[in-house]
Amino acid sequence: MSTAAQTSAPSGAATRREWLAILARTPRASMKDALDTALNGAPPPEFDWLRAPDIGLAMVRGRVGGSGDAFNLGEVTVTRATLRLRAREGRAVVPAVGIAVHMGRDKERATLAALADALLQTPAFEARMHEYLLAPLAARIAENRAQKQARAAGTKVEFFTMVRGD
Amino acid sequence: MLPDKLSNNLRGPDVTSIDLATLTPGFNDTVHDSQGVFRALLDALSRPGKIVSIDAVLPGLEQDGSTAEAHVPMAAFAALLALADYSTPVLLQHEHRGLSDALRFHTGAPLTHDHAQAVFAYLHDAQSLPPLDAFSLGDPETPESAAMLFIRVDSLDDGPPMTWRGPGIRDSHAVHITGVPASFWHERALLASQFPCGIDCYFVHGGSVIGLPRTTRVEVA
Repeated sequence: MSTAAQTSAPSGAATRREWLAILARTPRASMKDALDTALNGAPPPEFDWLRAPDIGLAMVRGRVGGSGDAFNLGEVTVTRATLRLRAREGRAVVPAVGIAVHMGRDKERATLAALADALLQTPAFEARMHEYLLAPLAARIAENRAQKQARAAGTKVEFFTMVRGD
Repeated sequence: MLPDKLSNNLRGPDVTSIDLATLTPGFNDTVHDSQGVFRALLDALSRPGKIVSIDAVLPGLEQDGSTAEAHVPMAAFAALLALADYSTPVLLQHEHRGLSDALRFHTGAPLTHDHAQAVFAYLHDAQSLPPLDAFSLGDPETPESAAMLFIRVDSLDDGPPMTWRGPGIRDSHAVHITGVPASFWHERALLASQFPCGIDCYFVHGGSVIGLPRTTRVEVA
């Protein structure tokens, strides 16, 4: 389903895995703004919940180094949602299914992200969604990361070993 | 709760991905609808022989275009959605894509082909029931771990007369279930000596169920 939708996506565009990662890192306000821009003021298409947003706990597991045993790091709250766009009358297309699994307790953010995921798989929307939703959000994440790295780089200390001459 | 060994065994060879495009949405209001279904099922089991209707709303259940014979009754669908969870392996006598996908997606329940492992079983064809003692009867210490069967029947009020007696019935209750073979009643009567172990059943037709707990004594006319 998602592979079929991607045939008309712009070349070099994010894959579903990448856009889900972008959506998961985006705060609610910027997601809402970007989605409004991408939809160009039109109301979002109708959808049915397969799984209405619900909040639960997930155990995060960690591993020290590459070889240590996995251990339970702690629990995080997770909000998940799955929706299916309604098929329009007279169109024999497979309705797109959007999913979101996010850290935190923000149901509205999960709803927006699931909707964005579904629209990114819908040919009528995907070009605008890539241009106005994903590109700005990805740029924002990259910018934040670059700023953080620049700040950290300023504190870098060079360690070196004195080599004795004799 | 679910040991690793068990979860590995349950992922049978024919586990396919869930088809989200045709998945049944499940309950409108998961918490309250499943509570309502649970209450109805409890009522049915505490009043054996009483026809209890389950009026949970399951939108989209009728859309899959399958024939009436292949159709899983709404009551069985709702009951399994309400009762099953990740620690209760479910056995389906026949392959039902819609039901198995919905169970795996909405409840996280593993599907099994092993009768002894099943906590819930949906038996679509009452005429070819597996032997009852193939299912788990529970242990004397944990009789609640016995299997619970959902048996689809053609009618709940238009069959040969039977007399049911036992806890939950004042004197006796006349029950008319269609299409359950005599061998079932015979096998069930043989299990009575193993009380408190035993098997609880629901007979399902459309949106209604009749409960048959292990304590009920059945006289077939």
